[in-house]
Amino acid sequence: MNYAMALEYQNCINCQACEVACKQENGVQLGADKQRIWVGMVEGTIFGRPYANIYPSQCNHCLEAPCVSVCPTKASHYGEGGIVKVNPKQCILCKGCMEACPYDARFVDDTRVVIDKCTFCDHRIAETGTTACQATCPTKVRTFGDLDDENSDLVKLLKTRRFFVQKEHIGTVPKLFYLLPEDEAYAKQSLAHTTDIHTWEEIKPHYDEARNRRSKEWKR
Amino acid sequence: MQIEISRRRFLKGSVALMILGGTALSGADILAEAMSKATAAPVAAKGRRKVATICEMCVNKCAAIAHVENNIVKKLDPNPLFPKSRNMLCARGQAGISALYDPDRLKYPLIRAGERGDGKYRRATWEEAYKHIADKLTKILDEEGDNRSTIGYCAGEGLAEHTFKSFMSDKFGSSNFLNHSSICLQSTVTGYTLTIGGYGIADLENARYVIMAGANRAEAILTPDTMDLFKRTRGRGAKLVVVDPRYTNTAMHADTYLQIKPGTDLAFVLALTYATLLGQLYNKEYVENNFQDFEKYKKHILDSGYTPEWAEKITGIPAGTICKVAHDFMAAAPQAIYYQGRRTTWSKNDFQLRRAMALFTALGGGVDVKGGIVFGHKLPLGDHAITAPIYANAKGRIDKDAAAVVGSTGSWVAWRNMVAEGKTPYPVRGMFVYKQNPMLSVPDTARTAEMLRKMDLVVVIDTMPSDTAMFADVILPECTYLEREDPVTSFAGTEPAIALRMKAIEPMYETKPVIEIMRGLGEALSKPLWEISKKHDEDLQSELEDRPEEEVFSEGGYDLADAYQESQEEINHHMVVAKHGEAAWRILREKGVFYPQMNEYFKKLSDNSYQYYPRNKKYYGVLKKEGEMVRDDSLDRDCETCETCVNPADIAPTSRTYSTPSKKIECYLGAMEKKGVDPMPAWHDEDYVKVPKGKYKFITGRHAHFTQNATVNNIMLLELMKENYVWINDREARTLGIAFGDMVEITSPVGKVHIKAYPTPKIVSEAVFYIHGFGSKSSLQTFAHRNGASDNEIIEGSIEPVLGCAIMHDTLVSVRKV
Repeated sequence: MNYAMALEYQNCINCQACEVACKQENGVQLGADKQRIWVGMVEGTIFGRPYANIYPSQCNHCLEAPCVSVCPTKASHYGEGGIVKVNPKQCILCKGCMEACPYDARFVDDTRVVIDKCTFCDHRIAETGTTACQATCPTKVRTFGDLDDENSDLVKLLKTRRFFVQKEHIGTVPKLFYLLPEDEAYAKQSLAHTTDIHTWEEIKPHYDEARNRRSKEWKR
Repeated sequence: MQIEISRRRFLKGSVALMILGGTALSGADILAEAMSKATAAPVAAKGRRKVATICEMCVNKCAAIAHVENNIVKKLDPNPLFPKSRNMLCARGQAGISALYDPDRLKYPLIRAGERGDGKYRRATWEEAYKHIADKLTKILDEEGDNRSTIGYCAGEGLAEHTFKSFMSDKFGSSNFLNHSSICLQSTVTGYTLTIGGYGIADLENARYVIMAGANRAEAILTPDTMDLFKRTRGRGAKLVVVDPRYTNTAMHADTYLQIKPGTDLAFVLALTYATLLGQLYNKEYVENNFQDFEKYKKHILDSGYTPEWAEKITGIPAGTICKVAHDFMAAAPQAIYYQGRRTTWSKNDFQLRRAMALFTALGGGVDVKGGIVFGHKLPLGDHAITAPIYANAKGRIDKDAAAVVGSTGSWVAWRNMVAEGKTPYPVRGMFVYKQNPMLSVPDTARTAEMLRKMDLVVVIDTMPSDTAMFADVILPECTYLEREDPVTSFAGTEPAIALRMKAIEPMYETKPVIEIMRGLGEALSKPLWEISKKHDEDLQSELEDRPEEEVFSEGGYDLADAYQESQEEINHHMVVAKHGEAAWRILREKGVFYPQMNEYFKKLSDNSYQYYPRNKKYYGVLKKEGEMVRDDSLDRDCETCETCVNPADIAPTSRTYSTPSKKIECYLGAMEKKGVDPMPAWHDEDYVKVPKGKYKFITGRHAHFTQNATVNNIMLLELMKENYVWINDREARTLGIAFGDMVEITSPVGKVHIKAYPTPKIVSEAVFYIHGFGSKSSLQTFAHRNGASDNEIIEGSIEPVLGCAIMHDTLVSVRKV
């Protein structure tokens, strides 16, 4: 098992159903300054005409997760399928992981006094096969799945579409794959010109290598 | 629901008969075997249950599965089986649990202890509350000579709306009903219906070109439109043109965004029509076969000079763009739709705007064809009979002359104004309010308060202590949708289905479902009101001379509770079994959804997609076509080629029988002309509200995070948006010295609000906007109380002349920093 997610981000209408589903499913603290998943929005004008881009996001469950490496108590760890998790009993709230995470995916849950983050809804994978955010999405932005399963919808998507990941240059080997819109104008509008575009065939060896190196730490 | 008129049926026919059409479909028995694994089956783990239900956080009615643990609803998930909601729950649907466990919910019957509006109530028992209502009603009806229409009533949209309505109209006997229509979508529904024979369903799963003007499907979510459209934009099948004074989340997905001045949409559509007629771009064969009075319409449009250049001056949209849109639309036709929209009546000409939109779509042939506006099919359900007494002294509705055509759902604004101003033909002294909140939903709040203050009896049935509830003499607490079973409902569409809301948990506190409230109210009211009728109703008196009293009372339907004796579950059982058999009922109760071939058709295609009906079994073209003797549904559906291999463009020109008076597309409404309404859409400069310097046109709208004003106390949704902000064009804001977050005062002729500012280039310079629903003044709603501003506090209470719908976007306001 090597869990990951592809995002058809061009479908996102910023309705935030995913955020509410996540909070209800996982009992995420209300009123915290951050949350487990979010919809990022960039807006502005081009020659006076407004535009906006929407990027749904959450923890990347990186194969080279800096938050796991930095944790002094091993509270941050890899769960089954490489899901990056926090063991609340071991967390001393040093917030090193929050500093280390380049995606700002962690926050303090004041009610449990612990670092909280996305778990890919690992408690419901066995029963439903998917996360709360994917299940509820009106326009079906997300596809959660197992990178090891060649027949999964996830791998099928990655094989047929081009995609990019966030902050690739940091070397975290992140597992949120943003699917490149086929419409060139929109692809241009929603990407930085320096963003690298990948195919699964080309990037798979890199991901396999990282997985093989770190998966010894994964809980089974 | 079927209503039997008890007696004197030839004398008076004020009771509307709701006819449930269609034939019984067999096939339920095929479904007896187990459904595929992908479907939601109840799990009988210890203390854990899964209950199929239907969401009521907005009007869409998405199918959901409630996960219940030890009688606590822990999570709501989408039910993948329902074709209309396509396996999704939006933010509001997910937040349903917070509505169920809202600490401010109405928990017990309340009787007013202070002045209207001050929020002082005392807890009462149900018996006490019913008695209080019965005593007041008896006195009022005695004084009004048993004129039942002295009590008005209104209802918000919902599965149980009809239960309340049938009690007030068929059993109690008042004609003064109001619902959301005249403050919502009546102008567009009527405009499309009188033109193409129905409001229809935009087939956004197959349309190739969509003009979405004013409608905002990314934020005002509508199923299945929202889900279908945004998977097909940006080069994936559907070209999307968004026309709006605001750059909305829908505009973000558009291929072309056209910023239009508010109130000028009709000029835009007329110019599109002009370009289409002049360039002969329309589907000539279709028009020849299906249009009535086409030449008249063509002459009218061309002679009136509705050129793109003319429209550019009015709308602000360049003439060249208008021509291009007309060309592209007609090139994609018949799979091209000028989207009907929902919450409408923007300005005085709205009815004509909707007519012009319908005619423009029809010019391309995109009606009753795949990828166009389709009518779909509705599965039949059995009847539930009600015996309705006839009250000789019950008068007709007060607002029937307020506009050219006032329907049975009334004109909210005209009705309210008449009562507030004391200009009614007879006294209107009471109001029963179910699940509606006119204090926030009807334009000109001050006037609504004035109306409610004049009433001798206001009864509110709701789940939340709304602003309107604060004006009630008696508040009756309804349970939320997760605590009740509601009338089983058949949903029309290209993929029709029946869905059922079942209760996830028992009603909390002392709340009840509306059917039980009607039963209790009926039991308390029947005898006292019977005495009033006996005293004042001469027809009844003469009838009692011939027949024993008990017989007339029971057979005549004067026992107001008699229609509500069965449980909702029993009634639903009859309605389903009558048409689909016991096997269907078992499936429906287990799965929450039923359609005759579900077991065969329903398939999981991928993690994110399901098949409900095979492509060739969907109901696209349903009207009787030329050469068809009698429409044989089963034959047609079995034809493998009927909708798959055939290009919609080849089917489009066929002559059809439309549900309009002439059985054709109606260009010219002669009957309306007699009522002083333009028979064909026409632009009148004098109807257009110009924006003088220093003023702004106020426009309003909906949002994906809140439903009207019903969810503003929901903590889960307030997490997404804490309050509403007024959108003002950033350049205008700069000249007024307004920065983001500044408190501004917005003043209109009818009111004044304070709200924080959001300067943005996303809105046209002559308009300001904020989202509807905020600004509650009910002190019993902790989180909503005085949070943000209410739009209807500043929108003027005026109506358009055809249907009496409230004009929402013609109010001029001034803005200043405070």
